[in-house]
Amino acid sequence: MRNLFLFFRKHYFIFLFLFLEVVSLIFLFRYNDYQNAVIYGWTSEISGVVNSAFRNVSEYFSLKRTNFVLNEENVTLHARMPEAFYITDTAIEFRDDSLMQAEYRFISARVISNTTNRRNNYLMINKGSLHGVKPQMGVITGNKIVGQVVNVSRHFSWILSVLHKESRISARFLKNNQLVSVEWPGNYYRTGIVKEIPKHLMVLPGDTIVTSGNSEIFPNGIRIGVIDQLMEQRDENFNTASLTFLTDFNALGYVEVVVDMFRDEKERLKASFKEL
Amino acid sequence: MTNLIVRNIIRFLFLVFFQVLILNNINLGGYTNPYLYVYFILLLPFATPRWILLLLAFLIGFSVDLFTNTPGLNAAATVLMAFCRPYVIRAISRESEEELGVNPSLRTLGFRWFFFYSLFLVLIHHFALFYLEAFRFSEFVRTFLRVVTSTAFTLVLIFLSELLFYARGKEKR
Repeated sequence: MRNLFLFFRKHYFIFLFLFLEVVSLIFLFRYNDYQNAVIYGWTSEISGVVNSAFRNVSEYFSLKRTNFVLNEENVTLHARMPEAFYITDTAIEFRDDSLMQAEYRFISARVISNTTNRRNNYLMINKGSLHGVKPQMGVITGNKIVGQVVNVSRHFSWILSVLHKESRISARFLKNNQLVSVEWPGNYYRTGIVKEIPKHLMVLPGDTIVTSGNSEIFPNGIRIGVIDQLMEQRDENFNTASLTFLTDFNALGYVEVVVDMFRDEKERLKASFKEL
Repeated sequence: MTNLIVRNIIRFLFLVFFQVLILNNINLGGYTNPYLYVYFILLLPFATPRWILLLLAFLIGFSVDLFTNTPGLNAAATVLMAFCRPYVIRAISRESEEELGVNPSLRTLGFRWFFFYSLFLVLIHHFALFYLEAFRFSEFVRTFLRVVTSTAFTLVLIFLSELLFYARGKEKR
């Protein structure tokens, strides 16, 4: 026993090293299991306070741009208002309120920390569980895709950016609704890759890719990007293509968290299906 | 002694905030991002007990992790780097440890020594960091490119700070 003790004492440097390394790697690879761990609740609060204090200052440098983006968004929204339509028919359509029920609600949030230069990028926003943000919710800006909530503390949340190793978005062609999936290969923050394009499909540069709405994360039709170039895969069943993201991930100011009002219902339905 | 501790605490905080608030936003060609915070480990005095070295490395790595939502990633790389530090010092210096002086610095130990010292340790750190982050063999070459360019960038920043902040070091001692 004494010899064992002496042995550990003599080589404590290596053992301490191994111990710390194992602790780090456990954190790294079991991260998803710790998503709601207490430790992340308060550490996010600390980093959130620092990030938002810094952002309060740095935001001034991009005011002009932010203003421009918001303006553009206003224009598109105004175009959808009832007042913007000229009624050509004398028989005015009557809509009963109970026929229209809001499916999505949006929580506006400010990005307080963001990277685009890593293999796995995350954003932090200044809204948290207090404001109704929950893990698995989608995040968009204007009508363009940003990412997905992975971690929520009281006042802040972490968003897994589209620019992440694990991000895989169910998408479709705007022109013919063909389902594909979008990933990020990790080079440049503006280019992604479209996978699982059926071989027979005619793909042209400039085709728009939007979200499919098949997952509960994003509503249908959120803009992802436009096709750059088709890359034919001779020995595979599907083609791939490169795409340019419409979202400028390096200049995110304000984003909206998508709250699916029917999420519980959809999930319950899915769960009941599995039991069969 | 107290002076030394206070100075290191200030350096710790400064480097962590500089890293997470400024350097993490730097993006050169989508590949290159500097990790200047490892400079803290490089600058610790030669006489630092090894267990403190490891614990400080874990602490600074984990602090950076908290701001990037990658718990354990920077910590693992920094701990590995701190573990290698005594061996690198022994390998590259002809003098005994007492003759090296108090702190590793460009002024007192010369360009050659400091260059290889920081090169090896930063390389180890960046290797571990980028390969743990990608964790795919299919991206081997791309990740390698990131390691090389980022190491160069980090080294430039280290030498710039060394020239800026520690240029008067020799006169003081």
